[in-house]
Amino acid sequence: MFVGLRDLRRGFRRFVLLGVVVALVGLLSTVLSGLATGLVTDGISGLRTLPLERLAFQPGSDATFSRSTLRDEALVPFADIDGVEATPLGASFVNAASSAGGPSLDLALFGVEADSFLVTRDDARAALAGPPGLVLASELEDEGVEVGDRYTLGGSEVELPVLGFTYAGTYGHAPIGFVALDTWQRIQFGAGADGRFSAVALRGGDGAALDGAAESAGVDLLTKSQAYAGSPGYSAETMTMSLIRTFLLVISALVVGAFFTVLTVQRTRQIGLLKAMGATNGYIARDSVGQMALLVAVASGVGVAGGALVVALLSGGDAPVELDLRAMATVAVSLVVAGVLGSLAALRRITQVEPAIALGVEP
Amino acid sequence: MTDPLVCTDLVVTYPDGPERRVILDHLSLRVAPGEVVVVSGDSGAGKSTLLTVAGLLRRSDSGEVTVAGTPASGLSERARTALRRDHIAFVYQSANLLPSLTAIEQLQLVGHIRGQRAAATRQRARDLLVDLGLDARAHQLPAQLSGGERQRVGIARALMASPQVLIADEPTASLDPERARSVADLLADAAHAQGIATLVVSHDDAPLRRADRHLRLDAGTLLPTSSTTSSTTSPTTS
Repeated sequence: MFVGLRDLRRGFRRFVLLGVVVALVGLLSTVLSGLATGLVTDGISGLRTLPLERLAFQPGSDATFSRSTLRDEALVPFADIDGVEATPLGASFVNAASSAGGPSLDLALFGVEADSFLVTRDDARAALAGPPGLVLASELEDEGVEVGDRYTLGGSEVELPVLGFTYAGTYGHAPIGFVALDTWQRIQFGAGADGRFSAVALRGGDGAALDGAAESAGVDLLTKSQAYAGSPGYSAETMTMSLIRTFLLVISALVVGAFFTVLTVQRTRQIGLLKAMGATNGYIARDSVGQMALLVAVASGVGVAGGALVVALLSGGDAPVELDLRAMATVAVSLVVAGVLGSLAALRRITQVEPAIALGVEP
Repeated sequence: MTDPLVCTDLVVTYPDGPERRVILDHLSLRVAPGEVVVVSGDSGAGKSTLLTVAGLLRRSDSGEVTVAGTPASGLSERARTALRRDHIAFVYQSANLLPSLTAIEQLQLVGHIRGQRAAATRQRARDLLVDLGLDARAHQLPAQLSGGERQRVGIARALMASPQVLIADEPTASLDPERARSVADLLADAAHAQGIATLVVSHDDAPLRRADRHLRLDAGTLLPTSSTTSSTTSPTTS
C-alpha cells in the first residue's frame, strides 16, 4: 500500500467526507446494537437468568407461556430420566395494585416450587416456602417498593406482601416477581387450578433421551434460547433491529463503492502511470482496496467508539440500551467488510485503465 | 550485442468513421545501446502512438516490438507488463509525478513495484537524487518543486529502473530554454553512460542538439533528416 498510505496521509482532506459518513454509520449501528441488546435483555433477561436448559411447552404454543397449559403428567416422563431435573413453571403477566394506594406494578409473575432447582438462593427458598408473598426483581426496590408493601394481583383478590428482592431481571419488558407455584395457580386459576402450570423447566440430560420423553409426554421441547422467541415482541424487535442494521451496512457499502468509483475515475491517469511503470492490476487493486479498507476501519473504529460512548451515556436512563462488546465488534467488522465489498465494485475500472493513458494517448 | 529496442514492420490504424486511418505504416526502427534517437513530426503524425507501441503500452495491428531480445507481440498482457517493468522506463512531458509522494518516494515506488528490498531501494534513490543535484529536495512534494526540478525527478525515477530502453515524450516542452538544455543533457549523458537505448519525441532544439539520430515521422514512416548529427551504431530506418 505504498501509494495508498501516503495518499491518505497527505491528501487527508479528500477522504474526510467518506470517513465522516462511515463513522456516522458506525455510530448509528452501535447505538442500534446497544438498543437491540437492551431490548433483548429487557425481553428475556429473566428467563436467561433462570438456571434451566430447556423448556417443554404445550404443543402449538410457540414457546408462549400464556398459550401453554400443562399438568403434572407432563412431568413424569422427564422425571424418570437419570440426571434430569424437571420442575413445573408458571408464568403470566399481571398487574399488581398497591393496597396502600401507591403506584401499581406490571409484573411478569413466575410461579416456582420453593425447593426446585429454579430457586438458587437459600433466603429466596425460605421466603417462598413460608407464607405466600412476592420476591421481586431488585430494580423495583430502586423504584421505591419496600419489603412489607402489599399488592393485590390481577383482579384475583389475592393480596400478597413483598418478602424481598433478588436479581431476577425482566421478561416481556416487565420486571419479574416470584411466587410459590401454588400461589401462582391461585392467582391464575382461582380455586380450580387443578395442578395446571405453563411449562416444564428442565436441567441436565442429553438431547435424545429428552426428545423421547417429550414425545411420550406430548409436549414441544425447546432450548432456553429457542424459548426466547415466546417473549412478547421479542421476534419483532430483533427482526426490526436486524433489518435496520442490514440496511445501514448496505448503505455504507454503497457509499464506499460510489466514493471509490469516483476516486478511481479521478485517478485514471495515475493508474495508467503505475501500469506504465510495470505495476500489475493486482498491485494497484491491493493498494487501492487496502487504502479503502484502512480508511473504513479507522472511521468505523471512531464511529463505534462514539456509539459506545452514546450508549454508555444513555444506559441507566429510560432507554433500554446496553453495551455489548461482541455486538460492537460485529458492527465494526461488518462495516469494514461492507466497505471492502463496496470498493470491489470499482476494481473492474482499474483493470480497464490502459497504460497508454500515461502518455496522454486515449486508447 | 542485440539492440535493446527493435521495431519491425509496425502497422497501427485507428477507426476514422467507416474507415480506418493508418497511423504507423510498416514502420521499422532499431535503437542501439546508448543511442539517443529523436523523432519529430507534425501534430497528429503518430509520434505518441509510436512511443506507446515501442514502450509496450499498446499493441500494434501487426509487426513486432522486441525489447531486450524478447519479442513482445505474442506475450500475454501480464508478461508484457513484466517486460516493461524490467526493461523500459518513461519520461513524460509534464513529469507525471504522483502528487502525494515526495521526490525520494517517487523513486522508491519503482523498487516497491519490483518487489525490491526497501533499504536497498532507499539507498539507490538517495544516490540518484544526489547525482542529479536534488538531494536537498528529496522530501518535497511535487507541488513544492519547480518545473525543472519535477522533470529531473521524473528522469531520476526513470533511471531508478536501470532500464535498457528509455522512452521520452516531449521531455523539455514545458521548460524554459536553459532548463530544457539541462534536462536534454541529463538524458543524453545518462543514455551514453549507462548504455540506455533512448527514443525521444520532441520538437525542441535542446533534445535535437544531443540526438545521435534525428528522424522525422511522416505519413506513418520514419525518414532521416538533414539535421541528424551522428550515428554511433548502424540503426536502420525504413
